[in-house]
Amino acid sequence: MNIQLGFIFNAENCIGCKACQIACRNENNTSGNVFWRKVDRVSEQSFLSHSCYHCSSPECFRICPENAFIKRADGIVIIDETRCNGCKLCVDACPYEAPQYDFYTQKVSKCQFCYHRLDAGLEPACVAACTTKSLQFTNLNDFFDPKALEKITGFPDIRITRPSVVFYPVKEKKRYFLNN
Amino acid sequence: MDLQIYQNTCPRNCYGTCSILSYVENNRLVKVTGNKMNEFTKGKLCAKGYSYTDYVYNEQRLKYPIMQSPRRSGNWERISWDRAYSIIANKIIELNKRYNSNLAISYNKYSGNKGLLHYAVEGMFNSFGPHTKPVGSICALTGINATIDSFGELINEIPENMANSKSIVLWGANPAVTNVHQMKFIYDAKQKGAQLVVIDPIFSTTAQKADLYIQINPGTDGMLALGVAKVLLQRNTTLAVDQLHEFTKGAENFINIINSKITLAEVCNITGVNIEAIEELANIYDQFKPVATWNGIGIQRNKFGGENIKIINSLVALTGNLSLENGGVYYCNNDLEQFPLSLYNFPVKKDNNIENCRELNINNFPVEALELTNPPLKFLWVASRNTFTQDRNFNKWRQLLNKLELIVAVDLFMTPTALEADIVLPAASHFEEEDINVGYWHHYLSINEKAIPQFYESKSDLKIARELTAKLNELSPGFSTFPAELTPIDWIEKELSTNVKKSYGIDGLEDLLEGPKRKLKITNTPSRTNSFQFINKAELSYLINNIESHRNKQAGFQFQLLTPQSLLKIHSQFSAVSWLHPNEDRTTVQMNDKVASELNIKYGDVVNVFNENGSIKAFAEPTKFVSRNVVIVDRINTNSINQLIGNSSSKDENQSATFYDCFVSIKK
Repeated sequence: MNIQLGFIFNAENCIGCKACQIACRNENNTSGNVFWRKVDRVSEQSFLSHSCYHCSSPECFRICPENAFIKRADGIVIIDETRCNGCKLCVDACPYEAPQYDFYTQKVSKCQFCYHRLDAGLEPACVAACTTKSLQFTNLNDFFDPKALEKITGFPDIRITRPSVVFYPVKEKKRYFLNN
Repeated sequence: MDLQIYQNTCPRNCYGTCSILSYVENNRLVKVTGNKMNEFTKGKLCAKGYSYTDYVYNEQRLKYPIMQSPRRSGNWERISWDRAYSIIANKIIELNKRYNSNLAISYNKYSGNKGLLHYAVEGMFNSFGPHTKPVGSICALTGINATIDSFGELINEIPENMANSKSIVLWGANPAVTNVHQMKFIYDAKQKGAQLVVIDPIFSTTAQKADLYIQINPGTDGMLALGVAKVLLQRNTTLAVDQLHEFTKGAENFINIINSKITLAEVCNITGVNIEAIEELANIYDQFKPVATWNGIGIQRNKFGGENIKIINSLVALTGNLSLENGGVYYCNNDLEQFPLSLYNFPVKKDNNIENCRELNINNFPVEALELTNPPLKFLWVASRNTFTQDRNFNKWRQLLNKLELIVAVDLFMTPTALEADIVLPAASHFEEEDINVGYWHHYLSINEKAIPQFYESKSDLKIARELTAKLNELSPGFSTFPAELTPIDWIEKELSTNVKKSYGIDGLEDLLEGPKRKLKITNTPSRTNSFQFINKAELSYLINNIESHRNKQAGFQFQLLTPQSLLKIHSQFSAVSWLHPNEDRTTVQMNDKVASELNIKYGDVVNVFNENGSIKAFAEPTKFVSRNVVIVDRINTNSINQLIGNSSSKDENQSATFYDCFVSIKK
């Protein structure tokens, strides 16, 4: 496989504006409790925008008794909801909270990398919404930048599933607080 | 599948004024995206913008005209539009007969929808003849007038140019929350090595992202700018008088006062900023040019707001950053000014007995309205406004409402203000009406098409004005001069004057239907101005002589209350949108952790935040990032923190509301 699509996340430039999170919902019409993408504060100066990382060794794919997960030739991991029996094994197994149990459909759904948009030559909705370009996507098999990191503070263990994401960390800041 | 794409514009009171493409399937809005033809937003929206389908089809949206009797009983009944119009028109006519004028009627309208056709409210009242008219402005007027004092007119740098600055200094601005599209230009500059500096009492999201953050006592920004000037003058660098361009006036005075009246010890004492930070800020203004300086709205929400801005502008000029390309000063632009605003300026109907409208300062509305006699105020129309979340003096508002005979509110949602009305009329969203929008930050003009049918029986402010004035004229011929026959498109065409068309390079409406259009030439900006006035001696002395006593006079109340914008709302708007607010809002108070511990307050404790105006309960969030003398409270739609904000220190109608001159106590 010479393509593995993945995300590039720049923690220095992410302002936590949640445009990606809501743009995902606007695009994919996910229901109330389901967040295919979510932005969380991870430190006093940084946020993490997270979703399914379309792992090289996806644990969801391995564990699903119904073989509902598919890894496409471009590396994207998708779920065929018609095969999902709602057992939630994947929800427990994923280190990144990517598979989301939908109480309305009683099935699991997850980020599909907006493959319907990719197939039409468009960026995923979250990437298209990011005003500071802190969330981008690329073919990670062709990507090399010595400054990019495999993980940043607050990110779960990457050794088991090898998530398709690289990070740029926050830079040092100078601060003067009032004397308290 | 019948998919159509329409052009809309986000009409919120926001720096973005984003161009939207609306995807409509079978008459239903299914998706929104940004319009790439707007090169300021570059085809992106904010989180609120992306939630618009949930806003439009929200289950809490008002569907029909409703009436409650008696008032505040909650005993609402659905009524027809015709009945609503009849009740309202009969009351207006009866009051006119009783008092032989329309001075007993008024409206309170602000920025709920900034589309130009929403001035239909003002136009409708003008069409009745002299009435009681709110004047002044709530949000940014102090800063606008300060900018005019500095430059002779309201001018602003071009926002895209910030990408080329070497330093960007934000005084009380938080674009990561309130102007997300500007952040890309800031990051473009950072990418090229620029430094982002944030000066703010609040460790805001933008402050967290800044290369240099300086925390400051609220409202003392002008003093800090004086301190920076003092440091540079003491260093005897060549920045000063000899380098100032001939077009500036008053530099000598400014320098003399700093030399003779300002000590750094005093600056440190008042601002709370230490000398090292002042030195560092001085280095930026002196050595990392061009410096782009942004006067945020926050620094003018206090008694010395105008002085703060004029001093900062003076510092920019003194350091030679004013006339540098990609330097200059940012506040907001004046693009709206060139439009005819035919609805806003609709002529007041002539009255043989009364020459003019009776004016009220909108920032002191209930206080001044209660003082009115002959006739007293009896009727109030509220549109594009949620006073019982956003305004001050709630106690006075309640007294006023008790004296009114009819209150009408027009809104999309059942706001705390609508709950106080007799009749509530359901307003259209901007997807259900035609309009035209102008930004106050970027330079785009964009059209807003009617993309979907009206939501149940909702109507636009213009449609309501057309129908209500027709009803008035039916019941009392000649009562209103409003041209009810004119359509939204007619009013939009009126805004496209010869000047406007030339300015945006368009021949007419058809060109706007292609996409948003940028103003061709921005002729004057602070960095290109040939007129600059340093803050004068009297204003400077006023600040220097009064700031300390102003800060100390609120004895008995321990904390200065700051109530900044939150990310996923515009004031109280978007509160009902579940995509943004899946859980019920709760009021939180952020306070200094050591102070909290002295008061035996722990994280999550319910505390009372109170002062002479009232008391509310809030969940305590102690943090080391809030200074000892400040508390920060999020604004919640119901049980608004604004009920603690009382009479302003300024009643001047040339000033905006001094929301941050408010002090509170806290107890468990």
